[in-house]
Amino acid sequence: MNRTILSLLAITTLSWLGGCSNLGQVNAWDKGNLAKPMMTFEGDPLDQRFVQHIYASKENSSGGYGVGGGGCGCN
Amino acid sequence: MKKSNINGSQTATGVLLASLVLPGLAALAAITPLGAAAENAPEKTTIAIKYGHYNDSQPGWDRIKVDAAQVYVQAPIAGDWSIEASGVSDNVSGASPRWHTQNTALSGASHMSDERKAGDVKVTRYLARAAVSASVAISKEHDYTSNALGLDARWSTDDNNRTWTVGFGSASDTIDNTYSGGSTAINRHKSTNEFMGGVTQVLTPTDIVQFNLTRSLGSGYFNDPYKSYDQRPNQRDIWIALARWNHYLEKFDASLHSSYRNYSDTFGVQSHTLGLDWVQPAGRWTFTPGARYYSQSAANFYLDPILDAQGQYDQQAVVARANKLYGSNQSTDQRLAAFGAITLSMKVSYAFTPNTLADVKYESYRQTAALHLGGSGSPGLDPFNANFIQVGLTHRF
Repeated sequence: MNRTILSLLAITTLSWLGGCSNLGQVNAWDKGNLAKPMMTFEGDPLDQRFVQHIYASKENSSGGYGVGGGGCGCN
Repeated sequence: MKKSNINGSQTATGVLLASLVLPGLAALAAITPLGAAAENAPEKTTIAIKYGHYNDSQPGWDRIKVDAAQVYVQAPIAGDWSIEASGVSDNVSGASPRWHTQNTALSGASHMSDERKAGDVKVTRYLARAAVSASVAISKEHDYTSNALGLDARWSTDDNNRTWTVGFGSASDTIDNTYSGGSTAINRHKSTNEFMGGVTQVLTPTDIVQFNLTRSLGSGYFNDPYKSYDQRPNQRDIWIALARWNHYLEKFDASLHSSYRNYSDTFGVQSHTLGLDWVQPAGRWTFTPGARYYSQSAANFYLDPILDAQGQYDQQAVVARANKLYGSNQSTDQRLAAFGAITLSMKVSYAFTPNTLADVKYESYRQTAALHLGGSGSPGLDPFNANFIQVGLTHRF
């Protein structure tokens, strides 16, 4: 069920982003606020690693933020 | 912003530099990685250190404590390349229950003291409006070794309003607890392959969104060798959808970060994760209060506690059931139960100079069955509380 929902969500979002010619037409000179450090998605890498490592050891779910990380035998 | 490859990027760079002369922003901008659109190689070297402390508890007993020292370095190489490396050393001690959340004289708990050392290296090549990265990672504990690699590529459209991302990751893990006198996991292996695709899109001058879809295929040993009668499937495939939205609020010169993650796997677990952070610069200071809500369903082989007539945990009945099901998939691990969790956090950063930043962060976490989305979760589990503290220093030169 979830697999179908996720697939539909992905297709819908990508189609939406790809198909709407007017969406996201922001000029370079209007991006001053977007360029501010507070607007980045990634933030502090060490902070995120520490916190995601804890969540991965206390909850079933983990991942989704990137690839290439290893596992652990965390209790 | 050394390498601006198109006119639009050059204009954006000009706007960016203009924005940096605002009080307080310059110092922070010099330290924080910039940009979700087209990427440029870093011009300076960044070194960061961080100390983290974690402790958790359940009613009547303290469980696990972790002290973690981390270091991170990012350096430019030859203009078009960069290298990132990080290392962590964790000291873990305490105990975790062998059954559900029990720590009685009868059930006992798995006492442990361990040290984990992990490191990773990532090399990135910057091209015109694109970047390609390769990484390797290793993590070692006395009973668990993980080796991983990752490859990813990002490229932006001509107007820098959209960035596409694809990635592949592979991990090979070995589990062996004979070193600590155990015999439940002898030279067991697990492998995982991850595939990710995503898009980051500028929507308006104050809104940027990101959507990532990840498929993970895992096979091998997924049991927890320190839980009693823990027998899990040898295959776990996962779908993860992540949506993030950052909104700039001009009135406050602040940003609101919101995120939603949808997770489902072949263990039968489905989860929802909502995140909300408010980033508020104030001169040299930045305050970031945040909240996170998490809810998961139970794995289809998770077994609820059995309670006696007085409502107490019936250890003998639990053992009898486990023996009866021996050879079938089963687990009493609390982490596979249905529950919800809330985290409240506060991070405070201070920029001493344009190139030196200190930060401290505190998080309070509470996990209970009652917080499960849409009603009560798995019965008979004690609440679980944890605190995390981080202190860090970042310098750029």
